[in-house]
Amino acid sequence: MPKFTIDGKELEVAPGTTVIQAATEAGIDIPHFCWHPDLPVDGNCRMCLVEVEKAPKLQIACNTLVSEGMVVHTQSPKAAEAHRTTLEMLLINHPIDCPVCDQAGECYLQDQYMDHGLHDSKVEIEHKVRKRKVANLGPIMLDAERCVLCSRCLRFEREVTGTNLLEFKNRGNVTEITTFDGGPITHEYSGNLADVCPVGALLSHDFRFKMRVWFLEQAESVCGGCSTGCNVWIDTRDGEVQRIRPRRNVEVNKSWICDPGRMLYKQFHVPERISGARARRGANWEGVALEAALDELHAKLQEAGAATAFLASPQASNEDLFAFKALAESVGGKLDFRVGNPQDRLHERIDAVLQRADRNPNTQGCLDLGVGRDGVDAILAACRAGSVKALVLQGPELLRAAEAQDALAKVPFVAVMATHEEPALAAAHLVLPAALWVEQDGTYTNYQRRVQRAKKAVPPPGDAKPRFELALGLLRRRGHALAAAVSARDLFTTLAKSVPGYANLDYKALGFGGRALATAPGAAAASAPAGA
Amino acid sequence: MATRIVTVDRDTKPGVGPILLGLWITLRNMLQTLFQRKAATIQYPEEKRPVSSRYRGVHILTVRQDGSPKCVACYMCATACPAECIYIEAGERPEKSIEKYPTRFEIDLLRCVYCGFCVDACPEEAIIMSRENNLVGTTRAELVIDRDRLMARNPIAEHGVGYRPEEHDVRRPVRVAALERLQKEHGIVPGMPKR
Repeated sequence: MPKFTIDGKELEVAPGTTVIQAATEAGIDIPHFCWHPDLPVDGNCRMCLVEVEKAPKLQIACNTLVSEGMVVHTQSPKAAEAHRTTLEMLLINHPIDCPVCDQAGECYLQDQYMDHGLHDSKVEIEHKVRKRKVANLGPIMLDAERCVLCSRCLRFEREVTGTNLLEFKNRGNVTEITTFDGGPITHEYSGNLADVCPVGALLSHDFRFKMRVWFLEQAESVCGGCSTGCNVWIDTRDGEVQRIRPRRNVEVNKSWICDPGRMLYKQFHVPERISGARARRGANWEGVALEAALDELHAKLQEAGAATAFLASPQASNEDLFAFKALAESVGGKLDFRVGNPQDRLHERIDAVLQRADRNPNTQGCLDLGVGRDGVDAILAACRAGSVKALVLQGPELLRAAEAQDALAKVPFVAVMATHEEPALAAAHLVLPAALWVEQDGTYTNYQRRVQRAKKAVPPPGDAKPRFELALGLLRRRGHALAAAVSARDLFTTLAKSVPGYANLDYKALGFGGRALATAPGAAAASAPAGA
Repeated sequence: MATRIVTVDRDTKPGVGPILLGLWITLRNMLQTLFQRKAATIQYPEEKRPVSSRYRGVHILTVRQDGSPKCVACYMCATACPAECIYIEAGERPEKSIEKYPTRFEIDLLRCVYCGFCVDACPEEAIIMSRENNLVGTTRAELVIDRDRLMARNPIAEHGVGYRPEEHDVRRPVRVAALERLQKEHGIVPGMPKR
């Protein structure tokens, strides 16, 4: 464990750590462009030069390993001058595009110019080298003039997706990045190219001109797109999600997310969202107040008692599932979640990077909480036999299943918690408006059995409520003790006491990086090969 | 600042003298107005007082020679606006050198406090102010003034232009302050390194 000194701070780091890694961990900011924590070191931008005592020349912090007794200065006059001159070189041919550039506000060049530059340009604007602008690469817009040739995107293509779509062409002053024949980026991780680009050379087509980034508010969240559970930032303005960005978590998704996950926000604020409860009266639907709808459902549950069946949803958070299970146990009756057997695909990859075949964020949570209890087939058989008087669905999965339609027709009362309008809802008798994963606090357990926390980013529309609140509303009517819980945080603390493996966990212990649990004995067989 | 204390004697008996003095002043003003045209007031709608060339009145969006807006929808004005009265939506221009322009640009003049920060913030001199201060409307919606109306205000004959960058550039002092901070906090003097 080498010990070294950086800016007067003594640090001890693991062998093989570079100076920039050690500095970043210690909260010391070393300016850089080409270095990225999740990409291999390239050392081409020369921005991270630091002064190392007894070394004849300045060293690049990204490719200098920490050694015993090293003394590093990041702000010494020599280092500061190097930062300034390097930045001036990088900016020689940079266009004055900040007013129209979407990167403005999160641009390394802007930040570092304000911190280290503030020089006047020696190159008149008409003498700058002109390159390709507004080149359309499918989901990505390329502006070669803005590029600082850091090669982050090339390394991303090479190391993460393995597609090698981008390459440098030409030499010297006229070097620029390009795809072969100017073709589009075709893989499903294109959005990350815009994220890794430290300047405005690669920008997302989707977010282009939509919003200035300094208007956005961020909330830590976990992607609800599949069982990988990538950590994300939800960027919002005025209660509307504007974009989804990856949030670094080395254990789960590093700094990447897939494009389908990034585009999930497009389903959040659409006219199909359900914002109020409704009940079927004969052939027609009638809008009802949420409390009245819960009263009606409560009466039906009282009447049906043990002749009720409950189907949880692997889309729901652990808190939702816990409250739903408590409701099922209080009423009596059957309980399961395995519509279409998502647990079989929990670990199955559909590409080499992140995406998994199970498109539910919380199948593992369902398994952990023991929601898979009686079997979907048993529930459907009971429905067909006419012994189910009321069916409560936490999500519309069963309504979509073709093989369940005949069984559903035999049930006199079907209540469903749903987020979006869809034709399948016509089979229900009561629709309760549910919140989406970005509209509520909650935890999700991913395929690795890692419990991760997602924060509420935007308010749900109209009367819509998190599924746990809907279940708590029913529990309150039943006089159940759990109804005293007022928040997802309370529910999780209660949940942790009773669910095996979750002991001693609470929101504080989880943080926003999540907490990996020991692999459950039952799931061990399935998880071993695919999880690696 | 030292406070000056004035003592007022309330016991003085009121006489007819001060009343007559007051009446004389009023009468003198009336006679001056009638016969010498020395009125302190003006006949407002017909007559107007001269307004400073830096007056901060209703905004103008300047245009290019081809009649398109000079604005590139950078949102600097909306960012600087303390009243949050500027709403912009950006679109793509066919020219690759300009790229961006406002498809919507609205100023809610009822919220606007006429501080002129938007003019200071604009990097393109696309938003300037006029000397007009008497814009009226009969509904609130009428005073949310849109892009085309803001652009149509360019040939203002009656009032003339008001606050605009060449009159008063605040950007330079901001940059000078940033340079001073850099030197004070980090000891860095930008420019050519000393040899």
